[in-house]
Amino acid sequence: MLATLDRRTLLKAALVFVIAAIGFVAVVTLGGGAEAASADPEVATTAATTAAGGNILLQNLFNGVVFGLLLALASVGLSLIYGTTGLSNFAHGEMVTFGAMITFFLATQQPVSLPLLPFSFTVGLPLIPAALIGISISAGFGWLQDKVIWSQLRRRRVAMVQQMIVSIGLSLALVNLIQWWIGGRPVRLTTSIDPRNQYGPISVGNVTLMSMAIAIVALLGVAYFLQRTRLGRATRAVSDNPALASASGIKVDSIIRIVWVMAAGLAALGGILLALYQQGIGFDDGTQLLLLMFAAVTLGGLGHPYGALVGSLIIGIVAEVSTVWLPPDLKFATALGILIVVLLFRPQGILGKSERVG
Amino acid sequence: MTDHPVILDADDLIAGYLPGINILNGCSMEVREGELIGIIGPNGAGKSTFLKALFGLVPVRDGSVTLAGEDITNLRADQLVKRGVGFVPQTNNVFPSLTIEENLEMGAYQAHKSFKKQMTKIGDLFPVLVERKNQRAGSLSGGERQMVAMARALMMDPQVLLLDEPSAGLSPVRQDETFVRTRDINRTGVTVIMVEQNARRCLQICDRGYVLDQGTSAYTATGQELLKDPKVIELYLGTLGA
Ligand SMILES: Nc1ncnc2c1ncn2[C@@H]1O[C@H](COP(=O)(O)OP(=O)(O)OP(=O)(O)O)[C@@H](O)[C@H]1O
Ligand SMILES: [Mg+2]
Repeated sequence: MLATLDRRTLLKAALVFVIAAIGFVAVVTLGGGAEAASADPEVATTAATTAAGGNILLQNLFNGVVFGLLLALASVGLSLIYGTTGLSNFAHGEMVTFGAMITFFLATQQPVSLPLLPFSFTVGLPLIPAALIGISISAGFGWLQDKVIWSQLRRRRVAMVQQMIVSIGLSLALVNLIQWWIGGRPVRLTTSIDPRNQYGPISVGNVTLMSMAIAIVALLGVAYFLQRTRLGRATRAVSDNPALASASGIKVDSIIRIVWVMAAGLAALGGILLALYQQGIGFDDGTQLLLLMFAAVTLGGLGHPYGALVGSLIIGIVAEVSTVWLPPDLKFATALGILIVVLLFRPQGILGKSERVG
Repeated sequence: MTDHPVILDADDLIAGYLPGINILNGCSMEVREGELIGIIGPNGAGKSTFLKALFGLVPVRDGSVTLAGEDITNLRADQLVKRGVGFVPQTNNVFPSLTIEENLEMGAYQAHKSFKKQMTKIGDLFPVLVERKNQRAGSLSGGERQMVAMARALMMDPQVLLLDEPSAGLSPVRQDETFVRTRDINRTGVTVIMVEQNARRCLQICDRGYVLDQGTSAYTATGQELLKDPKVIELYLGTLGA
C-alpha cells in the first residue's frame, strides 16, 4: 500500500514512535512509584476500580488508539484540503458535528423539527441507513460549499488569509446554526446501551469495536485511493503543484471538488463514530475538536497525505494516556505540548519533507 | 517555412500577475507550423511570463492568442493540453512527491489508455527514467528533473511544445543533447517555442528568434541574422565566447 512512501521517512516516523514509547515506559516506572507513595484518595479509587496500575495504562492506550482513529477520519480531509488548495479550513470541525447531527435527526425516536418550520415530526430511521444518508448529505454539503464559495474565491484569486477569514466566519455561522436547530444539549444517536466486553486488561464495547473497524477500513480506503487510483495520484499531483498539474492536463478544479466531497464525507463519518464512541455529541464538539485536528495535521506534516493519520494517532494516544497521571481537563493541553516539542525537533512535522534547496 | 500556415499567433498581449502591474506590455509573436522558435532576452524581460500567458497560467488582460485560427486566449492549461499544446516550465517542473513513473502518468492524464505505449517511447528517448521509474522525483538532481519534465510534456504527443530554458543547469554534454533532442522533436513535425539563456546555441539551431525586452517583443529575424546583429551582440549576447 505504501510502497512509494520512502523507507527513510517510515524509519524516521518509527524512530519518533520508539522514542515516545521509551519516554512513556520511563515515566510509567518513575510515575508509578510516585503514585504508590502518594496517599491521594482519588488516585487510589481509580486504581482500585481498574485493578492494577498497568491496566489503566493499557486501557488508556487503547482508548487513545480509538480516539486517534476517529480524529484521523476527521482530520484527513482537513489535510487533503490544505494540500490541494492551501486553505486552512476553520469550518472543518462543524462538518464533523453536521454529519452526526443529520444522523441524529434521521435516527432519533424523539420528535424533531426543522428551523423555521412550526411543526415537529419523527423520522426514526434505523441507525445505519440514517448514518449513510447523513454522510451523503454532508458530502453533498462539501460539494455545495466548494461550488458556491471556495471555487469562486479561487477563481478570483482571493488570497489565502482572506479565504481563511471566510472559513472562520463560516465556522461561527454553522456552529450557531446547529445550536439553533438541535439545541444546546448533547444528543445521542442510539439509546441502547453498548455492553462492555473484557479482553484481558482492556474493556471495550461492541459499538466501539465496530467503529474502529469502520474507521480502519475507511482510512485504508483513502490510502488506496491516493496510492492506487489514477484520480488519487492526480490528487497528490495537485497537492504537489497545482499549476504543473493543470499544465499536465489535469482539471485541477474537478480534483479539488472531489477532495471537498471526500473531506466532508469523512468528517461526517468521523462525527458519527465519535458520537457513538463518547455516547453523545453536542453542537460544539466538532468546533472543540478543530484545534486537535490542526495539531494532528501539523504534527504529521502539513499537507502530507498520511501525516493526518500519524499525527492523529499520536495526539489521541498522548491525550488519553496523559489522563493516567494528569487530570482529564489537561489532556488536550498535554497533546499540544507534545506537538510543540516535536515541532522543535522536526519543524516540518513527522512525515513532512524538508524542502530541498535549489 | 514562410509558406506554412500560421499555427500560433499572439497579438499584443498585455498580462501580469498582480492587479495593476503589467509584465507584458504588448507582446506579439507569429509562429508557423513546424517552426523552431527561440526566445532570448535579459533576465526579467518577461520570457517565462510570455510562455505562461500563452498557456493560460497567467491571466491575459488584453490582446489575443489563436491556435490554428481558433481563439484560445485565457483558456485553462488543461484545455490547451487537449488541443495539443505542451509546456515545460522553467522551475518546479516535476511533482516531487510522485515517482518518476507517476510523473509521466500525469503527463498522459488525458490519454491514459495510451500510457503504456508512450512509456516505451519515452524509454527509447530517456532510458534512465524507465530504469529508475520508482524513484521519487523530489530526490532527483536538477538535470534529471529536466529530463522528467521534458518526458512528461511529450507524453501527450503535442503539436506545439513550449520549453522554458530546457538546458538550464545541465552539463555541457547534456546541454548539447537537449538541443539535438529538441531539434529532433521539431523535425518530427512538432512546432517548438523555446526560451533559452544559452542564446548562441539556441539561435544556431532555431529557424527564427525573437528578442524580448521589458515585456515587448523587440524584434525578430532568423537565428543567423540575430547572431550577427550588432545590437543583439552588444545588448544581449556579449562579445566574449564563440
Ligand atoms: N509569480 C509572480 N508573481 C509576481 N511577479 C512575478 C511572478 N513571476 C515573475 N514575476 C515578475 O515578472 C517579471 C518577468 O519575469 P519572468 O519570469 O517572465 O522573466 P524571464 O524573462 O523569464 O527571466 P529569466 O531569464 O530570469 O527567467 C519579473 O520582474 C518578475 O519579478
Ligand atoms: Mg524565465
